[in-house]
Amino acid sequence: MQMETAHAATDASGRILVGTSGYSYAEWVPAGIYPAGTRPGGMLPAYAAAFPATELNYTWYQMPKAAALERMLAQVPPHFRFAAKLTRSMTHEVEPGQWRGQAARFRDGVAPLLRADQLAAVLVQLPPTFHRTQAHRRYLAALLDELAGLPLAVEFRHVSWAADRVFAELERRAATLVAVDVPALPDLFPPLDVVTSADLFYVRFHGRNTRGWRSGHMQQQFDYDYADSELREWVTRRIAGMARRARRGVVFFNNHVRGQAALNAHRLAGLLAAEGLGGNAPWTAPSST
Amino acid sequence: MDRAVIHLNVADFAVAVERSRDAHLRTRPLIIAPGGSPRATVFDMSEEAYGAGVRKGMDLRRAQRLCREALVRAPCMACYERAMHDLVRQARPFSPQVEPGEADGHLFLDVTGTGRLFGPPMDVAWRLRRQARADLGLDPVWAVAPNKLVAKVATRLVKPDGEYIVGAGEEEAFLAPLPLHLVPGIEGDDLVRLGEFNFTRVGQVTALGLEALRVPFGRRAGFLYGALRGEDASPVRAVGQQPPRAVFDRTFAEGTQREAVLQGALYVLVEQAGAFLRRGGLAARRLAVSLDFSDGVRRARQRRVQPATANDANLFALAREALHLAGDRRVRVRHLRLTCDGLTFPPAQMALFPGDPEDDRRQHLVTALDRIRQRFGAEAIRVGRTLAA
Repeated sequence: MQMETAHAATDASGRILVGTSGYSYAEWVPAGIYPAGTRPGGMLPAYAAAFPATELNYTWYQMPKAAALERMLAQVPPHFRFAAKLTRSMTHEVEPGQWRGQAARFRDGVAPLLRADQLAAVLVQLPPTFHRTQAHRRYLAALLDELAGLPLAVEFRHVSWAADRVFAELERRAATLVAVDVPALPDLFPPLDVVTSADLFYVRFHGRNTRGWRSGHMQQQFDYDYADSELREWVTRRIAGMARRARRGVVFFNNHVRGQAALNAHRLAGLLAAEGLGGNAPWTAPSST
Repeated sequence: MDRAVIHLNVADFAVAVERSRDAHLRTRPLIIAPGGSPRATVFDMSEEAYGAGVRKGMDLRRAQRLCREALVRAPCMACYERAMHDLVRQARPFSPQVEPGEADGHLFLDVTGTGRLFGPPMDVAWRLRRQARADLGLDPVWAVAPNKLVAKVATRLVKPDGEYIVGAGEEEAFLAPLPLHLVPGIEGDDLVRLGEFNFTRVGQVTALGLEALRVPFGRRAGFLYGALRGEDASPVRAVGQQPPRAVFDRTFAEGTQREAVLQGALYVLVEQAGAFLRRGGLAARRLAVSLDFSDGVRRARQRRVQPATANDANLFALAREALHLAGDRRVRVRHLRLTCDGLTFPPAQMALFPGDPEDDRRQHLVTALDRIRQRFGAEAIRVGRTLAA
């Protein structure tokens, strides 16, 4: 696919934003997502010309820094939105005595996005080993308290959290439950259309690569190309209903290998537009370099 | 293609290795210093000992007064080299270009173009750190950047704990607010000169532009301007493909300032280097003398060897010049290192005109010494000046 000729459907009012998990992938240049010769420094402006939102994955590896995010804001239009993944020191590698300080640093780091009203959500992705135990429930409650005031979206990866009491608690806190599309494997949090926040629904498409999911290699885990029928099913059976129950929505594709995420996001945006769930906005062609 | 370089840096490497070997050492401040000498100096110390005022090169007795609860362990260089080897072994599956430091906990990887195999560079760095923690008990900080220089600054910035990602094109903005001394290659003399202009931050200097920098710095301005803007084209060398060189060391347990001792020790190192080169049929085109002072300062000076030689007397003449340049401080020297690199095969072509007879005599002398040592052992004959060392 050539981005120059593509058109994405994004809601003109910004009601449902479709994008990808991360945008800085060198392999997206040979895949034709970015024009030939696009350097890493030029990827965000090129991406923002094509999509209305992105997930910042790097903030999982590294605590966000306000100065870096200010530089990123300068490269995108005012209507562009970021979802920032919560840093691993609060989700996957929690150190009991330190995570509260980390939460404060995270809040400071994303402050420029909040000030600019360009923070769609803070994605609190919890690891598959984070089962629904008493200790984990307490920790999650304390974490959400610590991050109160930020637009929080919680992604569970273990099935034990698929319980009405969990959803009710998220709703009480006005925190978004992240809906996921994943392979049909035991123990994984299932695909649901539960909406726990009237402000925002949040969908993540991880791909359905059953064999690669637990390979330990991202390139296998997220190597998947959604068929139109699979996307259409999501639109009609889940997203349409979710859109009625929340004012805004974000949908991100994480199957980044060979640029499949960008292609699938483009197709889903088109399907949403066809269903009248999003006004069509032309996919502005990025400038070729 | 923009490069992606990972730098792993294990803070206080000697301490980290000792603590990975003995869990009891994790609960107390730790000082690494040679034992058995009343005037031993600190080789390395833990963060807690640093916080109490202990510094590298400090007299051990003073260090112990400053941090009374500290445990003291003797350095185990073989252990540190093994730990480096283990770090390299873990990194090698991710890239053929892995460049370790000298048993100092530093490791560079060039992961350019490996994304389709292993995922994003930051994920590789994170996995390496996780492996080092799980398998080796070491906890490196890491950085991903477009080159070695910027990656190294980034780990310096977050040390002793953390990580930093600098994207391509962000190098100059990343460096601009930082103190000048964080940038590798900016030496003490440069800092003094820049300090005279009241420059303390990188951005203040780069804002001047290259032409203005040429006025006080002359030809060095080009290097300074490039480094301060985060430019560095130096490659990450593959393991086993380091440029060949000969390195010989001498440690003074109590430190010394005596000229005769230093020169004697240097001559011993020159003899060792010369013998090494001659055994391999090689000659050096450059030599460097590096001094570690007892106050923790390290200074190195180098000399070009023209023509390339393996002759002890010729090498020593240049090494002594380098020693004088590096050693003009009134501080005891703790460690002396001689490095010969730019190794080449000596010119085989006969001289067109008769050579300097003095050179011939030196060559004959070295050949005779080599023969005696081969037959009767290295200690069978010594040059007088080495008796003081």
